[in-house]
Amino acid sequence: MEEEEIFKQRTDLSKLTAAVDQIKASIGKVIVGQHETIDLLIAGILADGHILIEGVPGVAKTLTAKLIARSIDAKYSRIQFTPDLMPSDVLGTSVFNPKTVDFEFKRGPIFGNIVLIDEINRSPAKTQSALFEVMEERQVTIDGQRYAMEEPFLVLATQNPVEHEGTYRLPEAQLDRFLFKIEVKYPTFEEEVAIITQQHQQVATEQLAAISPVLSKEEIIALRKQVRSLHIEPKILEFVAKIAAETRNSKSLYLGASPRASLAIVNAAKAVAAIRGRDFVTPDDVIWVTPAVLRHRIMLTPDKEMEGVSPDEVIKQIVQKIEVPR
Amino acid sequence: MRRIFYLVLLILSVNLALGSDVKKVAPKAPLVVKIDTAQHPSIRSFDKETLRKYSKQREFNYEGPATGTSWWVYFWDRFWNWFMHLFNVRGLGILGIIWNIIWLLLLFGGVAAIVYFILKASGVDVQDIFKRKSKATAVPYSEFFEDINHIDFDTEIENAVAKHNYRFAVRLLYLKCLKQLSDAGMITWEIDKTNTQYIYELKDQGQRTAFSSLTRQFEFVWYGEFIIDNQVYLSIAGAFRNFNQQKP
Repeated sequence: MEEEEIFKQRTDLSKLTAAVDQIKASIGKVIVGQHETIDLLIAGILADGHILIEGVPGVAKTLTAKLIARSIDAKYSRIQFTPDLMPSDVLGTSVFNPKTVDFEFKRGPIFGNIVLIDEINRSPAKTQSALFEVMEERQVTIDGQRYAMEEPFLVLATQNPVEHEGTYRLPEAQLDRFLFKIEVKYPTFEEEVAIITQQHQQVATEQLAAISPVLSKEEIIALRKQVRSLHIEPKILEFVAKIAAETRNSKSLYLGASPRASLAIVNAAKAVAAIRGRDFVTPDDVIWVTPAVLRHRIMLTPDKEMEGVSPDEVIKQIVQKIEVPR
Repeated sequence: MRRIFYLVLLILSVNLALGSDVKKVAPKAPLVVKIDTAQHPSIRSFDKETLRKYSKQREFNYEGPATGTSWWVYFWDRFWNWFMHLFNVRGLGILGIIWNIIWLLLLFGGVAAIVYFILKASGVDVQDIFKRKSKATAVPYSEFFEDINHIDFDTEIENAVAKHNYRFAVRLLYLKCLKQLSDAGMITWEIDKTNTQYIYELKDQGQRTAFSSLTRQFEFVWYGEFIIDNQVYLSIAGAFRNFNQQKP
C-alpha cells in the first residue's frame, strides 16, 4: 500500500504550500540567502503574529520586510520611528473641522493591514506604549471611541541591537506582543559575493519592481484559519509547557516565558508544520520555532549577561534538558 | 562717543562713592554693666518633699525599666541597652577607631555566618532569598522519560497488537529500531534528539533514505494520530523488518 494512500492529509494544504513556494521564489530573486528569516516571516504571517526583525545596519531587514508586505495584496503603511515621534503620530488624533464645527478623528498610519515600523527602538517608551492596545487587542481607543483594526493586521518591526547608539530598550510588555524576534545575521562569503554581483548587474532593482502580490487579504484570513485547525498531539503540548516551565525555573534567567509565549510556540509550530506540508505538529517544528519565540521574552540574570551568554544559548540548554516526546 | 561714555561712567562712580559717605552709622550709646551690690544673697533650694514625689513617678526614673512594667518590655529594654552598648565608641584615637571597625566587622560577620548556617541546615537556597524569583516547581520529567534499553520490545509489541492498539505498536517498532541503530553504533541515543537529528546521523545514504521513510510513517501514526487498521500495521511492520534486515 502506498504511503500517500495510507496517510491522506485531513487538511488540504496544497494552496498554502503553493503560495509559500511562490512567495519564497519571488523574494529569493531579490534577497540572497536568509532562508530562515523568510521562513519565519511567512510562519509569522500564517500564525497571525507580529514580527520583530533585529540586525545590524545594512543586512536588508527593511527590504525583506517590504518584500513580504508587497507579496500580500493588502493596505500597507510604514512608520519611521524617531525619538520625537508622539503616540498621536502613530494612532491618529482628533482634528477640528471648521466646516462641520466638530472634531473629526484623523486616522494615523497604524490603520493598515501590514504596518512596517522601521527602527522601532529609536522611539522612547511613551511612543512604544501607544502600540500596546493595538498589537494585542487589534483596536485603538481614542476619546472614548473604539476603532477596530481591519483583518489581517500585522506589525512588522525592524530594529538595531540595543547596544547601538540612539536606541531605547523596548518595554517587556511590548516585546511579549511580538510572536517572533528574528535575528538577521551577516551573509556568508558566498552570499555576499552573490549580493554584490546582483547589485552590479542591477538585477535586484528590476526584480524588486517585478514582485507582485501572491495572496489577497481574504486568502490570508482563510489560510490562518486552516493553520489554527491543524492537529497537535497532547504530549507535544506538554512538551511546550515543559519548555516554558523550565525557563521559569532556570537559574540563568531572571524572567521566564509567559503563558502567551507557550501559546505562541504552539501557533508558530502549527504554521511551520503547514509550510512543511503536514497537517500535524512534530517536536522538530516546536524546537525550530522556540528560539525565535522565546529570545525576546526571557531576561538573563545580570551575572549571565556579564559573562556574555546569549538568550539563544540558554534556550538551547533548556530544550536539551527535556526529553523529546516519542 | 566712547570718551563721553567713559566720562559719564566716571562721574557716576564718583557720585556713588560720595553718596556712600553720607550714610554714616550713628554712634551707639556706651554699654552699662549692672553690678549686684547685695551683700548676702539668699540661696533658694528645691522642696525635698516635692522632689521625692517626682522621683517616685515612672516618667522620672532614668536608670532602667520602670517598676511594674511587663517582662516583655523589660526584655526589649535590656536588649536595646545591650545592642547600643555594642556600638559604643572605644576611644577616639586612631587605634580606638580601628578597633571599633574590626569589632563591628567581626560582629556582623559572626551574625551573618550564624544565619547562613541556620538557613543552609534548613535546606533554604541562600542565593534565592536575594533574587526576585518565583519558587521553582518540579517538572515531572519522569512521566516522559522512557529508557529504550529496558523495554522488552517483542513482548510489548505482541501485547499492543493483541489489544488492536496499532498506533502504540508502531511507536514500539520505531523505538526498537532506534535501539538497534544505537546498539550498532550508527546513532547516539540522547533524550533531547529529534527524529530528524537521528536521520542525519546515519552516514549511509541508502539507510538514511529508508530510515526517513520509516520516520515519516511513525510521525504520521504517532504525532499525526492517524487511525490505522491491522492491514496498514502489517505493511508498516514489514517496512521496519526490511530495514532491520538490510542493516550491516
